[in-house]
Amino acid sequence: MTAMTTAPAEAPTLRRSLRPRGLVWTMLCLHRAALLFWALLAAVAAGTLLWAWGPGTKGVWTEYRTMRCAFPGENLSCDYTGDAYMALDLATSLGGGIITIVPFLVAAWASGALIARELETGTAELAWTQSVSPTRWLAAKLAVPAALLASGTALLMLLHRLMWPSDRELLRWLSRQWYDDVAFRGNGPVAVAYALLGLAVGVLVGLLVRRSLPALGISLVCLLAVHFALGMLRPYLWPSVTLTKTDQYSISGGMPVDDGAITPLGNRVPNPCGGEGPDCLTQHHIVGFYFDYHPSSHFWPLQLVETGIVLSLAALAVLASFRLLNRHLGDAA
Amino acid sequence: MTGTAMEAAALGRRFGRNGEWALRDCTFRLPAGSVCAIVGPNGAGKSTLLAHAAGLLRPTEGTLTVLGTTPAEARERFAYVAQDKPLYPQLSIAETLRLGSELNPGRWDRAVAERIVADGDLDPHTRVRTLSGGQRTRVALALAFGKRPELLLLDEPMADLDPLARHQLMGALMAEAAEHGTTVVMSSHVIAELEDACDHLLLIGDGHVRLAGPLDALLAAHVLVTGQDGGLDPHTVVESRTTGRQLTALIRPDGPLDDEWQTTEPTLEELVLAHLRSPGAPVLTLTGEDEDWPETWGAAV
Amino acid sequence: MVEYRIDRRSGVATYVQIVQQTKQALRLGLLVPGDKLPTAREVVEATAINPNTVLKAYRELEREGLVEARRGLGTFVRKSLGATPVDSPLRAELDAWAGRAREAGLEREDVAALFTSVLDEHFTNDHGKGDEE
Repeated sequence: MTAMTTAPAEAPTLRRSLRPRGLVWTMLCLHRAALLFWALLAAVAAGTLLWAWGPGTKGVWTEYRTMRCAFPGENLSCDYTGDAYMALDLATSLGGGIITIVPFLVAAWASGALIARELETGTAELAWTQSVSPTRWLAAKLAVPAALLASGTALLMLLHRLMWPSDRELLRWLSRQWYDDVAFRGNGPVAVAYALLGLAVGVLVGLLVRRSLPALGISLVCLLAVHFALGMLRPYLWPSVTLTKTDQYSISGGMPVDDGAITPLGNRVPNPCGGEGPDCLTQHHIVGFYFDYHPSSHFWPLQLVETGIVLSLAALAVLASFRLLNRHLGDAA
Repeated sequence: MTGTAMEAAALGRRFGRNGEWALRDCTFRLPAGSVCAIVGPNGAGKSTLLAHAAGLLRPTEGTLTVLGTTPAEARERFAYVAQDKPLYPQLSIAETLRLGSELNPGRWDRAVAERIVADGDLDPHTRVRTLSGGQRTRVALALAFGKRPELLLLDEPMADLDPLARHQLMGALMAEAAEHGTTVVMSSHVIAELEDACDHLLLIGDGHVRLAGPLDALLAAHVLVTGQDGGLDPHTVVESRTTGRQLTALIRPDGPLDDEWQTTEPTLEELVLAHLRSPGAPVLTLTGEDEDWPETWGAAV
Repeated sequence: MVEYRIDRRSGVATYVQIVQQTKQALRLGLLVPGDKLPTAREVVEATAINPNTVLKAYRELEREGLVEARRGLGTFVRKSLGATPVDSPLRAELDAWAGRAREAGLEREDVAALFTSVLDEHFTNDHGKGDEE
């Protein structure tokens, strides 16, 4: 009898306690459109990656076998691409591309719609004069999107890893490398870190600039700069492996860092000969060649170092945002 | 009940390091339970003062306490309606009120907020972006009333309203003050709309407090005199005008006046205008300490 | 129940207008002992005046012993003013007199002046306290 009376009462209580409240409810309600867009975008990316993992990869293998590409020289048409190849190529590019572009979309949205527009129209002040301190307001502005972004990009990252061919031959045939920019960003935790950096940079710029359109532009420029700089720095984020040999034909299979020629004293100099013959080498006293690179085993160290840097930058931006709000409002924040 | 709703001590605010002072040397005290008008010309510093009280600006110098503490500490106990009535345009009226309840947990009075909206014949499902200026004001006031504040800070609350809505909302405002003893501070440059509603006056001109205190006491401290041109010593002359041989002056009497002067008590409008026309007139700050002000509402509520 | 009408142009202080209108209602028997005055909230909601003004008027009426505040219940009429309800014989006599004055060709102002002069004769030192200002 007791069970019968309490059971129906418990269900709504549970539902009520799970219902978003306060600032979380406010965030979800105010940014419904953005939430919907993110859900759609993530669904498209997830669908594409799942297709690439399943039917896409299977189709390419079938094509590979029917065209007898495993026997080089036998079928020259393997130098060209078939329909299945094209489809898989497109799907992986799209899936990886969405993961890469998410941080930029987030920065644009966060600087404009999330922050600057509220400061511009005075709705931020409306929120700060409810029973909510500006600090808590900013915390919610960061935490709610951060949770949704982190979980979404983490899921896409896992799907991207699932889709990423484990077979070397297939990778070779698709001419994809583990260190390609889009692949590197899609295959590890840097994907999540960059999305969070986009949010943090957007929020900081929004607070600084306080006007939607300029904030949007500036935050995109800032994020592009970080994106570009870290892409350039990536090979130096972990000690590379050096290979020395006497012939100058390059090796493949790793992320290239540096290469050149070696003099009799052991000094590294740029290769003066290019593809020219042994005469040139003797003339320039070249005794060997070196090649600095990252083998694929460096994937995880490189991922973790870059993730650490990106997350630190994001943390700095968050800290700066809170300080900025504090300076503006004093103890009222 | 007889606490202090707002108190400023040498409050000053400058925008930018070398900018103009928007407020300077503002000192006044406002008892709880009063309805105070902040009056002054456009750009005098009314909005700046209210924004400080709402904790949205930090004083450059001096202090401003609200409900006995800092504006940040008092956040849950006051409500503020800014001059341009900011609201989220993408929300409906019902969602805007829901926002009020979500952001003011434990305080929100849904019935009060909904009644204000219903009195304006507004459909709760209407999007805020489609509302007229007056309707926006109504929703903004509903949000403020729903918070059940001890102090209502209203910046030019009635500017966008037609006469009917103005009367109705002013009535609702006064009813709120009557029932809950809410202190109301509202700024306006339309003096007529404040005369019957307010019992305290804060006149600001050029960033400085010019007059502050209970309205009755301020009016009683001034006399409008007309008579033959002659000496008005030792009284303080706020403003005087001579037409032919006749002198008209607003003065603060210091001792009895000569019989030859014809005297009347000034209206609020005359008092305010005279002070605004004479920026050099000395500041007058009166406190209502000696009055039986304000008693508990007791049975009359 | 009495409904107050505030005349902003009259030059009479708002609280005095409330006192006068209450007394008028008492004289005319529109309010009788035991009746409840409207709450401050009701008055200010309809008139958009300051609640302190209403309270000041009610305190004035209370000081004169006309009403009493009962905590938590409201303000109630204690006694009526004069013994001249709307339908009293005295009013009927005055009504007949005014009719005759009109028939005799007197203007409204003439009648008022005549009435006031007779009033002054009979009630020299008996001026209602709250009616001043």
